[in-house]
Amino acid sequence: MVNHKISRRTLLTGTAAAGALSLTGLPARAEVNWKKYAGTKLEVILAKGPRGDNLQKYVKEFTELTGIQVESEQIPEQQQRQKVVIELTSGRPSFDVVHLSYHVQKRQFEKAGWLADLTPFMKDPALTAPDLVESDFSAAGLQYARNDKGQMLSLPWSVDYFILYYNKELFEKKGVAVPKTLDEMAAAAEKLTDAKEGTFGFVGRGLRNANMAMWSNFFLNYGGEFLDAKGNILTDGPEAIAATKLYQTLLTKSAPPGVAGFNWMESMASFTQGRSAMWIDGVGWAPPLEDPAASRVVGKVGYTVVPAGPKGQYSSTYGDGIGVAAASKNKEAAYLLCQWVVSKTQGARLLQAGGGVPFRNSILGDPEVQKGVKTKEWLQSVIDSGKISKLGLPVVIPVAEFRDIVGAAVTATLSGADPAAELKKANDQYRPILERSEKA
Amino acid sequence: MSALTQSTPGAAQSDAASEKELRPPSYWPFVVPALVVVIAIIIFPWVFTIWMSLNEWKVGSSTTFVGLSNYLRLTSDPRFIEAIGHTLVYTILSVLLPLVLGTFAAVVFHQKFPGRGFLRGVFIMPMMATPVAIALVWTMMFHPQLGVLNYLLSLVGIPAQLWVFHPATVIPSLVLVETWQWTPLVMLIVLGGLAAIPSEPYESAQIDGASIWQVFRFITLPLIMPFLFIAGMIRMIDAVKSFDIIFAITQGGPGSASETINIYLYSVAFSYYDLGYGSAIAVVFFLLIVLLAAVMLYARQRMLWTEIASGT
Amino acid sequence: MTPRQIIGKIGLWFSVFVIVSPAILFFLWMLSLSLKFEIDNAAYPPVFFPEHIAWKNYADVLASNRFLTYFINSLIVTGSATLLALLVGVPAGYGIARMAAHKSAIVILIARITPGLSYLIPLFLMFQWLGLLGTLVPQIIIHLVVTVPIVIWIMIGYFETTPMELEEAALIDGATRWQVFRHVALPIAKPGIAVAFILAVIFSWNNFVFGIVLAGRETRTLPVAVYNMISFDQLSWGPLAAAALIVTLPVLLLTVFAQRQIVAGLTAGAVKGG
Repeated sequence: MVNHKISRRTLLTGTAAAGALSLTGLPARAEVNWKKYAGTKLEVILAKGPRGDNLQKYVKEFTELTGIQVESEQIPEQQQRQKVVIELTSGRPSFDVVHLSYHVQKRQFEKAGWLADLTPFMKDPALTAPDLVESDFSAAGLQYARNDKGQMLSLPWSVDYFILYYNKELFEKKGVAVPKTLDEMAAAAEKLTDAKEGTFGFVGRGLRNANMAMWSNFFLNYGGEFLDAKGNILTDGPEAIAATKLYQTLLTKSAPPGVAGFNWMESMASFTQGRSAMWIDGVGWAPPLEDPAASRVVGKVGYTVVPAGPKGQYSSTYGDGIGVAAASKNKEAAYLLCQWVVSKTQGARLLQAGGGVPFRNSILGDPEVQKGVKTKEWLQSVIDSGKISKLGLPVVIPVAEFRDIVGAAVTATLSGADPAAELKKANDQYRPILERSEKA
Repeated sequence: MSALTQSTPGAAQSDAASEKELRPPSYWPFVVPALVVVIAIIIFPWVFTIWMSLNEWKVGSSTTFVGLSNYLRLTSDPRFIEAIGHTLVYTILSVLLPLVLGTFAAVVFHQKFPGRGFLRGVFIMPMMATPVAIALVWTMMFHPQLGVLNYLLSLVGIPAQLWVFHPATVIPSLVLVETWQWTPLVMLIVLGGLAAIPSEPYESAQIDGASIWQVFRFITLPLIMPFLFIAGMIRMIDAVKSFDIIFAITQGGPGSASETINIYLYSVAFSYYDLGYGSAIAVVFFLLIVLLAAVMLYARQRMLWTEIASGT
Repeated sequence: MTPRQIIGKIGLWFSVFVIVSPAILFFLWMLSLSLKFEIDNAAYPPVFFPEHIAWKNYADVLASNRFLTYFINSLIVTGSATLLALLVGVPAGYGIARMAAHKSAIVILIARITPGLSYLIPLFLMFQWLGLLGTLVPQIIIHLVVTVPIVIWIMIGYFETTPMELEEAALIDGATRWQVFRHVALPIAKPGIAVAFILAVIFSWNNFVFGIVLAGRETRTLPVAVYNMISFDQLSWGPLAAAALIVTLPVLLLTVFAQRQIVAGLTAGAVKGG
C-alpha cells in the first residue's frame, strides 16, 4: 500500500495526464494541490534551444495537470539575455518564469534581487512533490541555484559538461589511441593533422568570448583557480599561461586555418564533415552529430571525458536554471511550472533527446531513463564527466567582460602573441572592472 | 580668380536677400511638422543618454552621479581607442568603394540597352535583402575550408584566404560585404542625378569629339556632384554606424580586430549592462559622426564656392 | 555600325556583366543553400545542384507558428512608418530646398546620426511609462527615426534639381505656396518620392535592432522573427536561407513594381521636360 502510494506520487510529479486523473478524490493534505491555481496565465521567456523545445513540446501536459495556461516563447540566447535584463530592470517584466544561464547571470540576478526565493515553496508539501528535494540536485546545480544565504532562487534545469568528441575513423586510419592526458592529446592532434588532405587533428571554438569555455577546461586541468580567497582574478598565473600555450599549440598546429574566428557552427561543420578528428565542447552536440541529414560522421563518433592535465582532470561545467521573477504576481503557479520543468518525466525526455542533462541525480542515475538514451557511449561520458565536474567560469558579475577581455587575449596568441604578456595585459584591463562591479 | 571667388558669392547673397524681401519666409510651415516629429522622438532619448553618461549605472545596482568620470574612463580605455581606429578604416573604405563603383554602375545603367530595367532590379537586390540574413550567408561563403569563395578562388589558382577569420583580412572582407550591399544605394542616388542633367552639353560635347572619359570628367561629374555628396554623406553615416553585418559575421573578432565603436557600444550596454559608460560612448560616438559630417559639409561648401567662382 | 560603336557595345555589356554578376551569383547561391539539406550545404567542394531538393526548408518556415502575424506586423510597421515619413518628409524636403535652409536639415540629420542603440533603453522606458508596450505603436514611432531622415534627404536633393521657373510663374499668378507645392512641385517630384519611398521601406523593413527590445511575442516583425529562427548552435543554413529569401521577397516584389516608376521618372525627362 505504502509502496503503491509512493510510486504514484513519483508519477504525479511528472506524468501530467496520469497525475491529473489519479489526483481526483485524494485528500488535499500533504499532497500537492496541482489544481489550486487553475485558470492562472503564465508568461515564460526561454532561450532558444533543446531545453526550450522540450518545454514547449509537452507543456500541454502541465496545463492538463494544473489548469494553468502557459504562454511561452524562445528567443536566441543573446537576445533573450538582453530582453530579460532590460525588462527586469524596468521593474515590470512581461514574464513570470525566466530561463537563465547560470554561468553568465547567476551573480547579476542575485545582486539585483530579480528572482523570487523558492525555498519556502520547496518546503511546502502542498506545493512541492516529495521527490523534489535540494539534495537530489548535483553539487554544481546547488552551487548555481543557491545564494550566499542558502536560498534557492531557481531550480537547476540542465547542466552542460565539456567532453571530448573524436572521429573513430580518422583515429583508426592513423593508428592513434584515444588520448588520456592533455599532452597525449596535443601529440595525437599533430599526428592526425594532414593539411594536404584537408583533415586536422583538433577543432574548437577560437572566437573571442566563445573560446573561454574550452580554454577554462585546460586551465582547470593545469590546476587553475579563477579567484583567490579575496576575490582577486588569477588568470595570469602559471596555470593560465600553460593552458594558453596548449590552446595556442593545438589551434595553430593542428586545427583548421581560420579557427580564431570559429564559433559552434564552424567547429561543428568541420567535425561533421569528417575534417577534424577531435573536438572539445559541451555535451549537447550528439543529436546533430548523429543526424544523417546533417552529418557525415554518423556512427563514427567517439565520446569521452576531457583528457587529464598535470594537476587533475575536470570537466568544465556550465548550466541553465529556471526561476520565478520577483515581480511576478503568480509566484506559486510559476513555481509549479518550474517544478514540472525539472520533473523526472521532463528531465528524462531531455536526456533521451540528447538536448541536455538534468541536474537531478535521481534522473541521471535511473536505469529506466538510461535505457532510453540512444548513444550509450555519450551517456557514459556524461556520467563520467559529472564525477569530475567543476564550474568553468568565475562566479562574478562581469562574466561577459571576463570572457571578452581574456578571450581576446587568448585569441591574440593564435596570431603569434606571447601568452604570458597577453594574459598579463588582459588581467590589468579586467581587474578594475571586477573591482568596480563587486564593490558597488 | 580670387576676386571672382569673393565677389560672386556676395552677389548671390544679395540676390537671396532681395528675394526674401519680396516674399515672406513662408516655407517654414513645410518643415515644421517634420522637425516636430524628429525632435519629439530624439529629444527624450538624448536628454536621458546625456544624463546617464554622467552617472555610474550598472543594471541591477543603483545609480550614482559621477560627473565626467565616464568620459575620463574612455580616454584610458584601450578597447575604445582601438575601436576608433577600426571604425575610421572601415568607414573610409566603405564610403569610397561604393561611391566609385556606384557612380560607375550609374553611368552604365544610364545607357540604354535591352533588359536594363530587369538587370537594374537585380543589381539593387543586395540592399533590399535583410542585412542579418545576408551576413550569415556571407559567413558561410567566407568559411576557410567549406566556403564557396575559396572554392571560386581555387578555380582561378588563387590560394585559399582566411577572410574574416584572420585579424589582417577581417576588415577588408567586411568592407567587401558592405560594398556589395550598399553600392546600389549610391547607384540609385547618382542615377537620379544623371537623369536630371540636360542633354545639351552632351550633344555639343559629341560634336566636339570628346572622349567618354572627358565627357564624364568635365560634364557628368560636376553635374552629379550634389548627388554624390548626398550619397557620400548617407554612406558615411551608415558605415560609421554599421552594425548588423559586423555583428552577425564576426561580433568584432577575431580577437578584437573588427571591433568598431558601435560594436563596443553594444557590448558595453547590452552585454556588460554598464549603461552609464555606454551612454558616454554613445555621446562621444555621436560627436565623432558630427565631426565627420561637418568635415564633409565644409568640403562641399568649398567646392560650391569654387564652382560659383569658375562661373558654372 | 562603326567599329567604335561595336567596341562600345562590347564594353557596355562587359560592364553590365561585371556589375550585376556579384548580386546574381550571391542570390543564386543563397537559393541553392535554401534548397539543400545540411549535409550538402557543408560539403566541399560545394554542391551547386543538389540531388535531393529540401523543400522542407521552406515548408518549415511557413509552417512555423505566427508566421502570418509577423508578416502583417511587418506590413503595418513598415507601411505606417513609411507613409508618415512621406507625409512630413516630402514637404520638409521641399521647404528646406527652397529656403536653402541647410541648417534645419542638419537638425534632422541628428536623428539619423544618433546611434540606433542609444534610442533603445530610453524609449523602452518611455513606452512602458505610456503603457504602449505590447502594441505596434512603439515600433512605428521608433521606425520614424529611420524613415523620416532618409525621405527628407532624398527630397532635398530632388527638389534642388527641379526648376524654379514654373513655380515662380505660378506664384506670380497668385497661387499660394501650398498650391504651388501641391500642383506644380509635387507632380514633378513623383520619381523622387518613389526613390524616397523605396529607401524608407527597405530601411524600415530590414531593421531588427529596435524590434529585439520593443517587440513582444505578438508584435514581432518578420525580420526579427526570422532572426529569432536562426540559432547559432545549429548548422541550419538551409532553413535560414529559405527564411531570408521569404523575408526579402516582399521588398523585392515592391522593387520590381516601383522599378517602372523609377525608370520612367529617371529617364523620360519629367524633370528637364517639365
